[in-house]
Amino acid sequence: MRNRATAIRVVIIVWFILAVGGDVALAFGPIPPGQASDLASSESLTILLLAEIGWPIFSAVLAALFFTMVVNRTAPPTEEPSAAALRGNTRAQTAWIAGTLVVVLSLAVYGTVALAIDQPGAGVPSQASALAMPTSTSQPLEVQVIAQQWWFTYRYPTYGGIETPQLVLPVNQKIEFNVTSLDVVHSFWFYALGVKADAVPLNDNVVTATPTKIGTYRIQCAELCGLWHGNMADNTAMVVSPSDFAAWIQQETTLDAPIMKYLLPYSHTYEPSPTIYGS
Amino acid sequence: MSTPPTLARRLNEWGLLLGVIGAVIGFIIGFAVGTHAIPYSFDEDNSLGSDPGILLGYALSVVGFLAGMGFLNYPIGRLLGAKRPTEEDNAYMHGEGGGLTRYFRMTTDHKVIGLQYLVMILAFLFIGGLGAMFIRTELLTPSPTVANAQSYLTLVGLHSTLMIFMASAAIIGPFGNYFVPIMIGARNMAFPRLEALTFWLLPPAGLILLSTVFLGGFTTGWTGYAPLADQNVLGMDSYLIAFALIGMSIGLSGVNMIATIMTKRAPGLPLSRMPIFVWSVLVTSFLGALAAPALIAAVLMEVFDRSYQTTFFVPAGGGSPYLWENLFWFFGHPEVYIFVVPAFGLVMEMLPVFTRRPLWGYRVAVGGMVGIGLLSFVVWQHHLFVSGLAPSLRPFYMFSTELISVPTGIIYLVALGTLWRARTRFTVPMLFIFGFFFNFLIGGFTGVFLSDVPSDFTLHASYFVQAHFHYTIMGGEVFALMAAIVYYLPKMTGRTMDTKLLRFQFWAVFITFNGTFISLISVGILGMPRRVISYAAYLQPLNISATVFAYGLGLSMALFLGILLWEVVIKQKVAARNPWESLGVEWQVPTPVPLFNFDQVPVAWSLPYDYDTGKPAADFGPAVPAFSGA
Ligand SMILES: [Cu+2]
Ligand SMILES: [Cu+2]
Repeated sequence: MRNRATAIRVVIIVWFILAVGGDVALAFGPIPPGQASDLASSESLTILLLAEIGWPIFSAVLAALFFTMVVNRTAPPTEEPSAAALRGNTRAQTAWIAGTLVVVLSLAVYGTVALAIDQPGAGVPSQASALAMPTSTSQPLEVQVIAQQWWFTYRYPTYGGIETPQLVLPVNQKIEFNVTSLDVVHSFWFYALGVKADAVPLNDNVVTATPTKIGTYRIQCAELCGLWHGNMADNTAMVVSPSDFAAWIQQETTLDAPIMKYLLPYSHTYEPSPTIYGS
Repeated sequence: MSTPPTLARRLNEWGLLLGVIGAVIGFIIGFAVGTHAIPYSFDEDNSLGSDPGILLGYALSVVGFLAGMGFLNYPIGRLLGAKRPTEEDNAYMHGEGGGLTRYFRMTTDHKVIGLQYLVMILAFLFIGGLGAMFIRTELLTPSPTVANAQSYLTLVGLHSTLMIFMASAAIIGPFGNYFVPIMIGARNMAFPRLEALTFWLLPPAGLILLSTVFLGGFTTGWTGYAPLADQNVLGMDSYLIAFALIGMSIGLSGVNMIATIMTKRAPGLPLSRMPIFVWSVLVTSFLGALAAPALIAAVLMEVFDRSYQTTFFVPAGGGSPYLWENLFWFFGHPEVYIFVVPAFGLVMEMLPVFTRRPLWGYRVAVGGMVGIGLLSFVVWQHHLFVSGLAPSLRPFYMFSTELISVPTGIIYLVALGTLWRARTRFTVPMLFIFGFFFNFLIGGFTGVFLSDVPSDFTLHASYFVQAHFHYTIMGGEVFALMAAIVYYLPKMTGRTMDTKLLRFQFWAVFITFNGTFISLISVGILGMPRRVISYAAYLQPLNISATVFAYGLGLSMALFLGILLWEVVIKQKVAARNPWESLGVEWQVPTPVPLFNFDQVPVAWSLPYDYDTGKPAADFGPAVPAFSGA
């Protein structure tokens, strides 16, 4: 039995080193999706927190499994009898259930609070028509994402509803993405900004995020939408300085001028064409 | 048999052939009626036929197949005033004296059906696994090489749908059908013909699903989201009919199991003394009976959308894609517990045998499984956190989903309590049980990240999700399946596949499985969406690693199948009568199990886990004579 006590001690020490080492490593490691927007930072923080709480519990259960199954193994010929069985130990059961319940409840409360801070009233358009031009960076600038097989188009209602194939955003300006689709269900995934929103026909799916890092990013479709779903990606989305953004808007407005009269008036959703279903 | 066989029996013996003939006739009639009689204005250019033709053709071919197999003989005969079948008829239908041929006809013996299920499950697993190998091969490079976009998506759809079919029945099919009646002291199932039907729906479902490759395939994956499904060519119809058949099989199996467990228990066996595996089957059966109808309804609505021009899911016609998403996941979430609850039950059934001590916390284990069952009906919208549907409900679904980790944690508590300070016999099934707990733990912890709405924003629909459910289904359920195959084959076939090589096979499958899916967890975190044929170049190294491990995983799974075939079918290695020294009643009845299991059903029952006293689960009294026919 001395060996067993030693074994338990070794397992506990190994677990402790693993748990602490893992948590420290997590704290210093890069946590996806990164820090390119307030939303992404908040998601990173949530993931970090879940990982920091989860890892010690995970490794403790693993250590216990390893100890009880592997260290304690025996082979039938030279069998040592099991120690007396643990009979229904109500205290241990209650403690375990109460413990998991507490962890779960605090996770749910944390998740709800984080959600309320990140996305107040998310998913629902803030008003029936497009937002007014933001007067400060904390007021949202509306950008519409229109998905169709197999690309995304963007509209800027506060700049006359111009339509562009490339997404360009001003840095440190709060953006309200209004995501909709013209045919099947897609999902607009701007990985670096932590934005993912399904594009559903006749639905306006709203997510807000403030990009905080200038750069060029990748956008892709995250919901299977047919043949070229895998190619519904774009490496040219940009977050730029406010002055570059103003210049870009100027240039796009000039480019779009001849076609503006053919575009549908801006709206939060567009009637999908019935012909795409083959009838 | 001294008396000449009657016409009905002759027909039954040729059932499989008649079934195939019936299927052909049914298809021709359905196809003709569907093509010509149903007004159809979709100008889809398809030389193979129209959607109504294919849909009705497949539906009637299944009816024809089942009629040929003899499923209608009893109800129609009784309607026309035929006498109740005699004892002798029942024994014949049960497969008496049938030898090997009874596996190829409709029989009402749950033991035959259990083995039929086992073979069918392994066939699905094998074909689905081949699909996975193709998928991984394609993903070696960031742009299409061996497949094109259409064939790749069809491959993804076939692999996933076939594996879902497999997983729906992988444990409850073979082991639930075979052992539940024995474990509860019943001579037969409550609805034996219905039980036979749940199995015979599987071969048509599998074949119809595979036939999609001749009809242009389908691009929706196993989730079949509308309105993409409306756009798809005829291959989509295969998916719809096949999935409806699986839904019926799941639901009917649930009804049969509930009725059996509730009404056919031996005298002296209250619910509170049932083996834990039977409890897991009971919970699963309620899930199946209540969830499958939602799937069948959704599939029928999609069938109507595609053939009668209804617009349940078509936004342009006033329908909503959310309706499909809700109905599908209302089925889809309980479905994942249909996969894994029987695995919990099996593992908890085997643990006492290998630790030689009682199952610790039987009551909380039952409570845990019932809790999982109840909660699994109120979590489905966690699949729709980013869908834009009812955002204000997200905190509730986050909470209910995280709550499931409490009853799931109880299963680990029971396992650890049973193992605590036990001297564990590290047999091959025990190795796989260890693998089960290890893998499912990763599956559970990855699930926490998906249940939390803010972290789900980034992880949703990525390879992280894909790896998560492979950890629970493949790492959990399929590892439990392999444990159960090694554990129960001696009882089911009288032969054993337990060899030294199997230990090597376990470590091979364990390491390659984790290598594959840890790579895929990583690509998911780094931003790779699911079901894509092209991906960003920076993800290639991890994808190569996943593919190399996946090849190893494929080989080691094939090795399992090879050992199974070699030891059991070719070498026919005879097993000991009770190789694991179990006290379970299923190991106390003779091998092969008599036709109706028990001649005298024992009256004194206890939980089969009294390893400290060595008391078997049921008191058989004097040796049981073999069944002697009528
Ligand atoms: Cu798309
Ligand atoms: Cu779910």
